[in-house]
Amino acid sequence: MPGNPPLRALPRLAALWKKELLAFARDRHGLAALFIMPLVFILVMSLALAGTGDFSGGRHATIAYAVLDLDETPLSRAFGAQLSPGGLLVKRAAPPDETDARRQVEAGKIAFAVVIPQGFAREIGANRTPSLRLLLDPAVPGALRDGFRQRVEAAAMQVGFAYLLERLETDMMIPGLPQIAGNAAPPNMTLEAVGGDNGKTIALPSAVQQSVPAWLIFSMFFVVVPISAVFIGERQHGTLQRLAAQRVPFSLVLAGKFLPFVLVNQAQAVVMVMAGCWLVPLCGGEALVLPHNAAALAALWLVSLAVSVAAVGWALFIASLARSSEQATVLGGVGNILMGAAGGIMVPRFVMPAAMQPWTRLSPMDWALDGFHRVMLRHGGIADVLPAVLALAGFGLAALVVTVCLHHRART
Amino acid sequence: MIRIDSLHYRYRATSQPALDGVSLDIGRGGILGLLGPNGAGKTTLISLLAGLLAPQEGGIAVDGEPLEAWRAAHPTAIALVPQDYAFYPMLTVAENLDFFAGAQGIPRRQRRDNCAAAIAFACLEAVAGQRVGELSGGLRRRLNLAIGLTGAPEVLLLDEPTVGIDPQSRHFLLNAVERFAAAGGTVLYTSHYMEEVEAVCADVAIIDHGKVLTAGPLVEVKRGGAPALNLEIARPLPDLAADWQARFPEMTAVGNTVDFPEFPADALAPLLAELAAAGVAVERMRYGAPNLEEVFMQLTHHALRD
Repeated sequence: MPGNPPLRALPRLAALWKKELLAFARDRHGLAALFIMPLVFILVMSLALAGTGDFSGGRHATIAYAVLDLDETPLSRAFGAQLSPGGLLVKRAAPPDETDARRQVEAGKIAFAVVIPQGFAREIGANRTPSLRLLLDPAVPGALRDGFRQRVEAAAMQVGFAYLLERLETDMMIPGLPQIAGNAAPPNMTLEAVGGDNGKTIALPSAVQQSVPAWLIFSMFFVVVPISAVFIGERQHGTLQRLAAQRVPFSLVLAGKFLPFVLVNQAQAVVMVMAGCWLVPLCGGEALVLPHNAAALAALWLVSLAVSVAAVGWALFIASLARSSEQATVLGGVGNILMGAAGGIMVPRFVMPAAMQPWTRLSPMDWALDGFHRVMLRHGGIADVLPAVLALAGFGLAALVVTVCLHHRART
Repeated sequence: MIRIDSLHYRYRATSQPALDGVSLDIGRGGILGLLGPNGAGKTTLISLLAGLLAPQEGGIAVDGEPLEAWRAAHPTAIALVPQDYAFYPMLTVAENLDFFAGAQGIPRRQRRDNCAAAIAFACLEAVAGQRVGELSGGLRRRLNLAIGLTGAPEVLLLDEPTVGIDPQSRHFLLNAVERFAAAGGTVLYTSHYMEEVEAVCADVAIIDHGKVLTAGPLVEVKRGGAPALNLEIARPLPDLAADWQARFPEMTAVGNTVDFPEFPADALAPLLAELAAAGVAVERMRYGAPNLEEVFMQLTHHALRD
């Protein structure tokens, strides 16, 4: 038998990398878990979100409403006309009676039914606040409900104001007063998104642009599933023990998994971004728009690389803790969901209660989201994403160090 | 070659030591059969020899050098062949061998030679390009052994290398172990198959509760056991068997076969007289030095361990 070869780390690492990539390329389930499922996820989420961007000029979802005029006076008709469709709102034909209006709301055909009760005009004429009733679908989100309510109140005030001016014209004989009511209409407003260097005006992002980074991060962290499967299989089959007996340090085993899975994770990110840019529009959704300049693209890549480092480091930590695939699924899956919930992936941070918002900063997914938003929405550069990148890379490397320490502690 | 001296090892959160003062010598080019019931300390001893655990007390020396220092100078000289199929089913036989050789840091050219030698040693040429997941149990066992040879080791630690395979594959593996030792290799062989150990091991050690119960050349170990009696009688004798069981608690009776792992010589004539009085013919009888299994059962007693 030949003598003993000198131990060299790089060829050993190369052997580990080659094995990992070969094994992964032949693992159909792992490939499906990492590429096809997130692809479908991004596609479905993007298409589902395609209707929610109300300032991008894209396709909109519609919220239907109807007005039931039980007063049938010129004033109530004016109020009904004032409550005009626009934006997401689509006006349906007036229901014949309240029973029918309720049936339509209950069946989900309309989200709101505005009921103008008898005596509406009389109350305005008597300088009393008119009564109105709003029938609504309980599934309508609170923000939408409040927005519609404000719109109804504004329309009622405008009708009341116009009536007042008409009376003043008649009683005080001041011609042209009702035209003043026209001046009380809402102003033409231009929305300008501010970002990039020196607060420039930048393109308004679509809802897809706002949401895809969150789902991208969430999917990338699910690299914990294939890594755990590989790691637990190696432990259960005695392969890790054999490598340890061959004097392959545990840190080298981790390094042997780290780079291939970072590469795989990066490929996963590229596939998902490409799907957002080209596949989603082909399917009728809004396209994800990437930055156009090289510095912003580099910043975007840096953030995604840092997310991969954090996700793979975290996955290796979970895989080394778990003793079975079931444990890995629970620890990794639930850990990711908690990290996502806490990190503004599922619920944006700005809608969380003030007391909870600082806690989102503890989640690496929040750092990742911040990094992506700085590039994708605020058109920032490398300097803008550095804090997020450093935090994510530090998290990933710290997870690896802890994994090695725990392994050595378990061995002694 | 390998000297194990007063080795102690206790796992955390356990009160009983896994190894309690184990001392053994394994000569170069020899095959030592390591026997013991489940939980006796065999795996712990193998783990210490493989460098997976560090001794807490006592030590292991190879050629007079502490194990760790010797392994630093000879990193691939001790190979562990685990009981499990410790390789990657999605890779081919050749890819598995190349990977494990590469993980040991063996340079490319030498790696190629070592893998070719391991393939030839285990007769795996015909399946070298085949994915391991498609192989039979016997071929997998041969691959498991071949992977152990990729580092051209001087010492092989074999942990039940023949579990779950057909007699032909078992015969091949036992023959391969003998060839390895004949070429100057040293083997520590653990198995629960006593006839295998008797067939290939010149030396044996029986351990239990972390202590060495007996160790030495196989012949001497067997000679050290109490005489055993095996009887094959013409028909089962339920009444007589119950009486015998009371007098010889370690007796086992299965069908027409009755075994007494320890049987005093002066009790032989009365026992045969009892059979004659009952009108039962003795069809076959063996009395004398015990086989390895009988020595093992005498030393470790009969109680179940799991």
